[in-house]
Formats: sequence, structure tokens, C-alpha cells
Amino acid sequence: MRKNALAGWLLLAPSLLLLGTLVVFPILYNAWLSLFDKHAFLPVQRFVGLGHYVYFAHDEEFWNSFGHGLVYAGATLVLQLAVGIPAALLLNEGFRGRNVLRGVVLFPYVIPTIVAVILWKWLLNDSYGIVNAWLVGSGLTAAPVAWLGKDWIMVSLVLTSVWQFFPFVVVTYLARLQTIPPELYEAATVDGAGAWRRFLHVTLPQTASVLFVIVLLRSIWMFTKFDTVWLMAGDGGVSRYIRTLPVYAYARSFTYLQAGMGAALSVIMFVLLIVATAVYFGIFRHDEALA
Amino acid sequence: MRRAVRRHAALYAGGVLLLVVGAFPLFWMVSTSLKPSSEIFATPPRLVPAHPTLENFVRLFRDTSFPTFFRNSAVVSFATVALTLTIAALGAYGLTRFAFRGRDQVAALILTTYMFAPIMIIIPFYILVKQLGIVNTRLALVLSYTTFCLPFCLWLLRAFFASIPLELEEAALVDGAGRGRAVWHVVLPLALPGLIATAIFTFILAYNDFLFALVLITSEELKTLPVGVNDLFNATIVDWGMIMAAGVMITVPAVLFFAAVQRYLVQGWGAGGVKG
Repeated sequence: MRKNALAGWLLLAPSLLLLGTLVVFPILYNAWLSLFDKHAFLPVQRFVGLGHYVYFAHDEEFWNSFGHGLVYAGATLVLQLAVGIPAALLLNEGFRGRNVLRGVVLFPYVIPTIVAVILWKWLLNDSYGIVNAWLVGSGLTAAPVAWLGKDWIMVSLVLTSVWQFFPFVVVTYLARLQTIPPELYEAATVDGAGAWRRFLHVTLPQTASVLFVIVLLRSIWMFTKFDTVWLMAGDGGVSRYIRTLPVYAYARSFTYLQAGMGAALSVIMFVLLIVATAVYFGIFRHDEALA
Repeated sequence: MRRAVRRHAALYAGGVLLLVVGAFPLFWMVSTSLKPSSEIFATPPRLVPAHPTLENFVRLFRDTSFPTFFRNSAVVSFATVALTLTIAALGAYGLTRFAFRGRDQVAALILTTYMFAPIMIIIPFYILVKQLGIVNTRLALVLSYTTFCLPFCLWLLRAFFASIPLELEEAALVDGAGRGRAVWHVVLPLALPGLIATAIFTFILAYNDFLFALVLITSEELKTLPVGVNDLFNATIVDWGMIMAAGVMITVPAVLFFAAVQRYLVQGWGAGGVKG
């Protein structure tokens, strides 16, 4: 390895220039902007200090969006794990057709969000959707369910999101499962452990570190998810029953054109994530989990 | 013996369930896209179209701006892949082949920027892009996607480059090859799985993006697929056959691109996860 600082920096320069201009600068500018009343398109701005933050503390819409975000991120996280981990365990077993199935499971994650959302809106369509056709046809429900109406829209959103993102859990968990030495299972079997106890005493401890990362990343990504939530209901109608903080921030900035308020919401999201991440590390950090 | 049979039954039951969950919605999309409208609204719905037709696809390409959206998405996605690969490969090479002060700190800092979801900086981002005078251009999209892919791609490629023994490169240099040739003929071929994983990750992110395209693009002729198709969806009474045809057309390139190189992606995934 050469000691040639100039060449190293020069090779990194394009990356640093882009990241500096288009990520680091906007982050700082965003914090600054949150202290102003600023129109999204016009140059007018007025200093309001922490006014926006005080406003949101008493803003019902803010607390609604925050609550929706917790419900959405929490429900989708739990269900992604509940579907993804058994699926990964299954795909780790040897059976015919396994490789095809591994490919199929990735489908939902590869197709663009717009396709996933319109597809589920069609599956869940109240009059002509196949889900309602099955439910009514099999007698499970007497009448079609208004999946995209105000009572069920959150359920539909969670369903769509879980379908779209559980493959991430499958792939990451499976990658780790494949590296567990078979001897561990053999030893456990010799000791008389059944399938459930082998899972509890071998698989789970071995995969604790990857679970730690999966839970962290998926929580952050679901909490900051914009496109799936937005595409599900847009800005009007039933959207207020699923509006999360990212959507609220977008609406403040680009519908009400209050860029300063939108910026303040972004800062709040950022602080919430930092705090939650710190708490998470504080609670779950065992040394072996990070190994 | 009976245990083995039960085990197999359970495995296949689980497999079939997973197959239905993963593939049925997509099967239903294809099936609907091939149905004439009389069959789309039939109750109970038929699983396989009785009279398959391509009329939904014809309407999509003839009566809407779909071909334009498609071209825009292709141009923007491939330009993003080319630019990201170039910049990330240069950077990763610099991070692994030269020792300089602050190198590890810079690498860590770059990874930190990966934490920021686009929604958290979209407002200042929009104002900045407007100041630069590139709002409503494909360039703005390419730069946005490149920037947001870079942290992950740099880290992925850094890991791949670091695993290539320095001696191979030095042997080429001793044999009289210039550094450029040594990199081109020795390092890049060995890093190919990493480069491919990076390309797929970048392509999927650029092809899928909705937020930047929604905010930065205003004119119809520059819109990419996600925003364009959402407009089609919201325009009037939903033409389900045509919308499902659009879904099929959007999915095909993504799946083809992905299937061609899937085995490389699993490696890349193991190395750090794909954002989304």
C-alpha cells in the first residue's frame, strides 16, 4: 500500500463533492430552515426561532401522524419478522424446488413500489377484488369488506408493506443461517433436543446479531417510509387515517408550501430516530451481538 | 420413517404457502392484464382469462404517455448506474490502495450519511436543485440517485477491493503495465461480483424512486414510470386492465435485470443489506 495522500483524496473527491453538496449541506440547511417561516417556492422568509417546534407540540395533526407512524412501523416490523423468519428457516432446509422458491420469494422486493401498491389496490378492490370474492364466496364474511375505506385502510397499508418488504428479512436471515456450523445442530440432537429446542438454543443465539441489525434497519426504514404510504391514499380522502410523519412533512412542504414547517418536521424525525437508536443500542447491546 | 414423511409434508405445505404469498399477486396482475374488460369485472373472477387479449397493452402504448415514461426511466436508471459505478469504484480504490490520514474517519462519515432517508432532506434538496438551475431535468434525478446510492456502493466496493491481494496488482506493475492497465486487467475483473451487485442495487433504487421524481420533475415529457403511472391511475375512472398491463411492463425489466445476476446480489446483500 502506497503512502500517497494526494492520490487517495483525488480518487475520493467526486464522492465527497456529491455527498457534501447534496447530503451534508442540505442536512445543515434543513436545520437552519426550520427556524424560519419560508415559502416553498418564493424567496420570502421570516425568522421565527423555535416557533415551529412549539407549534407542533400542540398540533393534533402532528401527534396523529406520530401515532400512525408508530402503529405502521411497529405492525409491519412484527409481521415482517413473523413471516420472514419462518420463511428463511424453511428455505434453509433441503427440498426439491428450493432454489426456485428462493427466487420467487424475492419478487415482491424487486418490483417497484408503484406496482406493489396498484396491485394490492386491485386485489383488495371492494367490488371486483379477488380477496373479497374469496371472503364472500367462502362465507367468511357476509358482505365485501371496504379494504380501502377509512376503517380498513391502515390494515391494507400494513398488508401491502409486509408483502413488499418481508423478503429483506428472508434474505438477510437466510444468509446468516447458512453460516451456522452443522456440528452445533448435531451436538444438540445427540443431547436429545427436539426441533423447537434446537431453534431456541442453537439458531436463535447464533442469529442474534443479524436480528439486531434487521430490527434496527427495518424500524428506521418503515418509520421514514414515504412512497408506499403516499401512494396508498395520496393527500385527500382517507389519507388522514394513515398519514405518517414523512407524509405530513411532505404535505406541509409541497401542499401547504410551508417549507420551514416541513423542515422542522424533518428535524423532529431525525432527532426521534437518533434517540430511539441510542435507546435500542443501550438495551440490546451485548458484546456478542455486535461480533 | 413416519417422522420423515411428516417432515416432508410440513416442508411442502410451507413451501406451497410461501409460493402463493410470493407469486399469486404477480400471477393475478399478469392474468388481469390479459383479460378483456368483460372478464375483469366478472363475478366470481376467473383465475385464467378465457379469451386472452393484448388490447390492454395496445391501449397503454397507443393512448398514454407510457412509452415516454418508460424511455425516461431507462435513460435515468442506466445513466445513474454508469455514474455511480465510476465514482464509487474510484473512491473505493482510493480508500483501499492509498494510506492517508483521516481515511478511516472519512469512510465512517460516508456510511453515516446512509442513515438519512431522502424524505428527511427533500425540502432543502429541492431548494438547492432549484438554485443550481437543474430543476425539472434528468440530470437532477441522476445526481440525486447517485448521491443516495453512493454510501452503500462505496462500502460494498471497498470490501471487495480490500479482498483482492495487493500482490496481484503489483505483479502486473512489475511486468511493465501502467497503473491504469493493472487496475483494468487485474483489479476490476476480480471485483466483478461486487461491481455487479453495486449495479443492481443502484438500478433498483433509481428505477423504483418515487419521491425525487415527484418533487424534481414537473413536465409530462420528463416523468419517469412511478410518477407517470401514478398519474394514469389517478386520472379518471381506473382502467384496471390497462393499469395491470402497465404493472407488468414495469416489472419485466426489473425482474429480467435481477434474474440475470441474482446470485451476485445475494453476496452483496450479505455484505450490508439493501436499502428500502
